[in-house]
Amino acid sequence: MYVLTVATLVGIYMILTLGLNTITGLAGQISLGHAAFFGVGAYTLALLTVTGGWPFWPALAAAVVAAGAFGALIGALAIRVRADFLAIATMGVNFVTVSVFLYVPLFGGALGIGGIPGPSLGGVEFGKPSFFGLTAAAVALALGLNLWLGRSWAGLAWLAIRDDEDAAGASAVDVRKFKILAFTLGTALAGLAGGLYASYLTFISASDFGFPMSITLLCMLVLGGIGTNRGALVGAAILGTAPEVFRFLADYRFLTYGGLLVLLMRFSPAGLLGDESRLWQWACRRLGRSGAPAAA
Amino acid sequence: MLAQQLVNGLTVGSLYALMALGLTMVYGVLRMLHIAHAAVFTLGAYAGLAAFRATGSFWLALAAAMAAAVFGGLAMERLVYWPLLPKPPIATLIASIGLFIGLEELFRIVAGPQPYSFDVPVRLAELRLGPATVTAPQALVILVTAVLLAGLWLFLVRTRLGLALRAVSQDRDVAAACAMNVRTVVSLNFALGSALAGAAGMLVGIYYNSVYPTMGDVTAYKGLAIIVLGGLGSIPGTVLGGLLVGVAETLLIGLVEVPFPRDAWAFLAMIVVFLFRPQGLLGR
Amino acid sequence: MNPLTFRLLTLGLAVALVGGPAAAQDTIKIGFFAPLTGFAAADGASARHSAEIAVEEINAAGGVRGKKLELVVYDDRHDSKEAVALANKLVERDGVAGVVSGSYSMPSRVTAPIFAKAGIPMVVAYAVHPDVTRAGPCVFRNGYLGQVEGAAGAEAAVKHLKARRIAVLTVDNDFGRVTSAAFIERARRLGAEVVSEQIYKLGEKEFGPYLTRLQGQPIDLIYHTSYYNEGAQIVRKARELGIKAHLEGTEGIDSPKFLELAGPAAEGVTFTTNLNRDDPRPEVQNFLKKYQAKAGVAADMVGASTYDAVKILARGIQEGGTDPRAICQTIANLRDYPAVTGKIARFTKGEVTKPVQIQVVRDGKIRSLAVIDNPEVITPPVQ
Repeated sequence: MYVLTVATLVGIYMILTLGLNTITGLAGQISLGHAAFFGVGAYTLALLTVTGGWPFWPALAAAVVAAGAFGALIGALAIRVRADFLAIATMGVNFVTVSVFLYVPLFGGALGIGGIPGPSLGGVEFGKPSFFGLTAAAVALALGLNLWLGRSWAGLAWLAIRDDEDAAGASAVDVRKFKILAFTLGTALAGLAGGLYASYLTFISASDFGFPMSITLLCMLVLGGIGTNRGALVGAAILGTAPEVFRFLADYRFLTYGGLLVLLMRFSPAGLLGDESRLWQWACRRLGRSGAPAAA
Repeated sequence: MLAQQLVNGLTVGSLYALMALGLTMVYGVLRMLHIAHAAVFTLGAYAGLAAFRATGSFWLALAAAMAAAVFGGLAMERLVYWPLLPKPPIATLIASIGLFIGLEELFRIVAGPQPYSFDVPVRLAELRLGPATVTAPQALVILVTAVLLAGLWLFLVRTRLGLALRAVSQDRDVAAACAMNVRTVVSLNFALGSALAGAAGMLVGIYYNSVYPTMGDVTAYKGLAIIVLGGLGSIPGTVLGGLLVGVAETLLIGLVEVPFPRDAWAFLAMIVVFLFRPQGLLGR
Repeated sequence: MNPLTFRLLTLGLAVALVGGPAAAQDTIKIGFFAPLTGFAAADGASARHSAEIAVEEINAAGGVRGKKLELVVYDDRHDSKEAVALANKLVERDGVAGVVSGSYSMPSRVTAPIFAKAGIPMVVAYAVHPDVTRAGPCVFRNGYLGQVEGAAGAEAAVKHLKARRIAVLTVDNDFGRVTSAAFIERARRLGAEVVSEQIYKLGEKEFGPYLTRLQGQPIDLIYHTSYYNEGAQIVRKARELGIKAHLEGTEGIDSPKFLELAGPAAEGVTFTTNLNRDDPRPEVQNFLKKYQAKAGVAADMVGASTYDAVKILARGIQEGGTDPRAICQTIANLRDYPAVTGKIARFTKGEVTKPVQIQVVRDGKIRSLAVIDNPEVITPPVQ
């Protein structure tokens, strides 16, 4: 069960980093507030199932829609601000969202929301193994979506925006539309993760979705290799298991974590498996490939 | 009560401005978000406390706080930021976050998780300004901030180095083309910004009589809100942003009943400013 | 990172996740978690020291049922996700006979159902979230519910300190909200007037804006739910602004650090807590002395509560053996148990009944002012 618990949490992180990769990795919009959308998904599912008496499945769908809608709104506002301003603005969105969860009684206020039900199919409640299966399926879905997007017209448009926004705009890419699309899809995935998280933990409170969580997600993505799906998956797997793997370090656990982040960025700024990283290029050479496709 | 709340707000605002200045100066020359600035701030507080306990002198302690902060800031710049300059900005951002996480833990491991008191007897008289009173600790904060800001301003407008510094933050490449030693200027910038953060850390430690490992947390994110509010990289904008945020928060809490935490107000204000002035208040 | 390091890292990951062979069963294991890193690390350290003192004492006296107790310590960093993972690890890998939470509400709240489901007895040292004990029949709380502590605070304010006009400052978490609400209700019932209610953010340092509003008003008492960092700022600022009202806090400020950070402003401050330093009982004085020797600072509420939690669980194992139900039964049947944090009359559906201590700071020392043992106040509200 312990391994399944860690694995399920890692799966949830993977969905989050895959979504963040669409926004930050592909479209190049640095978001320091991804946890806010994760929270919107979690609170939507929690409220609908606990207060509203909805079954799990439609509530999960609603979590995806709610987070995506919120993401579309933020994306529409974010068009006005660029680069570092956008990073800080999304951080602000994170703080405001968490404050709303904490201060508005509808969201359970300081006591959070407990007793969130798990999924069931045909009257059979999911145990840990089947919940892990559900999470794995969700990861596969998110990955499939990202792969498909990467090959679509939207994927090309995002790369153009990331590399040079003005040039992209000049060559008839509707920058506005594609930015909002990236935010919507990326945050919808965060909503999916949030719904799973709320149901898995059965209890949520505002502090689960704070700024430190956004930072952790971004660290996962960059550590794995930003802009690539494999990077999102590997980063989530490594940092998601790190707190458990490094338990033996006890007091030095997070000192090590901070130190490793610095060293990795210093010596491999493209992350472990980014397109530019030595490890990935070595792997490509060994496999006889000339180079990695940009968004594979 | 309004006058008194203004005094309260200006005191907090001074501290905000002092700690955010380094952030904006670093942004000015390197175009990066220096999250670990908050660790420099905490380092200053610990160093000042250690020096004060050893010597009993406020001024020596302030010097030690600033010196330690300069050392810390320069080490970060030399070992981490400068080598990462040609890399994508997100790598620098993550490295900075890693530095902050690691250093906070280091403070806890070295100094322990408990807060220390920082009890400096302030020999300043209370100042009565009509209906408002400036208490001795408030006077100390405002006074030291004013002296440091005046010093910074004189340096920037009256010295050749100050001019170079402003030139580099206008455009690093053009400055380099004009045969300026950009490397030195960047280091100087880090040194100055870190010194101010160290002083701010020590003042916060004294004003609230406590120094603890996570005292930089608020600095880390509110400082960012302030510098973007003022217009990233703008020094006067940052001072204005710090004072505005300090006063606005204080008035919102102190005059009207608003069921929302003060940090959320700072960010809400920032988001609203973005809707109308995406480049910040005094940004170019 | 080169490929070899990467391979080693993957290997390490696999080993750590799969785990080593189980240790031989010559000890009885007790699970323990607390925030040992992060912003709550100071309380985590206090909880850990005290849990270790309790285990050392038990082992020095021959252990439990002839076996040594072994404390399995985990850091939850005050993070729900970490808490869930470590709870599953305690249940599955470590084979613990019982668990003590030396942590705050959120980690306790999220792990209680996991232990309840696995049938592992849990004693929560001081976390206040009301849902914790509702997770199952074998979750016990050694600390007060917020409702009890708030009501007791109101008794102290109105009856002992004779306050008529009261201002309330509430920290915006579960502890603050629940405790303040109970205080306000009881204070009104006792005939006092609550003239101001303000809420501040956890971690707030600047109380000028809040307290300036109260300056010059005819207020007898300011009741603040706070932890020692915020509490120290509140009393310092109140005195700096010349506010003469009485200042009453909660167990959150029960720490020697409060005295240090508040300095002279702490003088005369009262607070509700469960640790009575003036209690002449040898178990109390013995704990205070041992804590001071181990931690290098004076003991606090968090430490004393965690010490008791470990002792209560050990008592359950001593009498109930390794059968979880017998352990629960033993704890549920305890009567007049002599805990360091006051004599425990009984547990009712996991909630403790014991007197509430009113302590006061006098000449820089924490002394006893009064004890609230009115059953109407200290009986926990359980449905």
